Amino acid sequence: MNKSPKTIIDEDIIELGLPINPAYVSTARLTASSIANRMGFNIEDIEDIKAAVSEACTYLIKMHQLDKSIQNMFNIQFIIKSNALDIMLTAEKIKFDNIYEEDGLGILMIEALMDYISLSSKDDANINIFMSKKLK
Amino acid sequence: MDFEFVHRLDKAKNQWNISIQGEIDIYNSSLLKDKLYELLEQEKADLYIDCEGLEYIDSTGLGSLVSVLKKVKQFKGNIHLSNLKPNIAKIFKITDLNKVFVIEGAIYE
Repeated sequence: MNKSPKTIIDEDIIELGLPINPAYVSTARLTASSIANRMGFNIEDIEDIKAAVSEACTYLIKMHQLDKSIQNMFNIQFIIKSNALDIMLTAEKIKFDNIYEEDGLGILMIEALMDYISLSSKDDANINIFMSKKLK
Repeated sequence: MDFEFVHRLDKAKNQWNISIQGEIDIYNSSLLKDKLYELLEQEKADLYIDCEGLEYIDSTGLGSLVSVLKKVKQFKGNIHLSNLKPNIAKIFKITDLNKVFVIEGAIYE
């Protein structure tokens, strides 16, 4: 099987919609792992991406437990670039005041595992987590 | 449950020998905590956890282990983790929890 990045196209986008439910975090991990593998990331980086995606999902699930006004689905976009994998998690919300009050361990882990992470502010219409890992 | 949990009490050494296989995340981390609490209720002994078959643990799984460690420390016991895979060892390192638990044995490549 050809695993070269040439088999996938720069700026291809893969979208995954999941219920905000702990049972599906493993689905997000598996998908992330499969995409990172196909892009040619090494094993350590694939593990980093898997763990970061898992922590981001967990963060959204915990936010949902704090504020049930968030819709029951969330979306993950994997944006394939020639030199990086960008990942955006989005959950719609109506109001939300608790965004930075989680214990922070998961976000700390994402910061250590990925090259870039940004969190939406509480004034934004959606909850967004954006992160990126460079392809070495 | 997406993990296997095998345990045996070594009365001579006063320790629980535990082996965990599979993945621990927000879906099942509270179950792991409950199982470890149950063992401590049966017998207050050190926990020796063989992680050779542990494929993945997330922040909530680490949180469960920290909760159990607090309980173990109440009777001056400890939690020993062995045979961590590199990805698991990395997670303990970046969270500084490698300084909180006793990490021993080989790290599998």
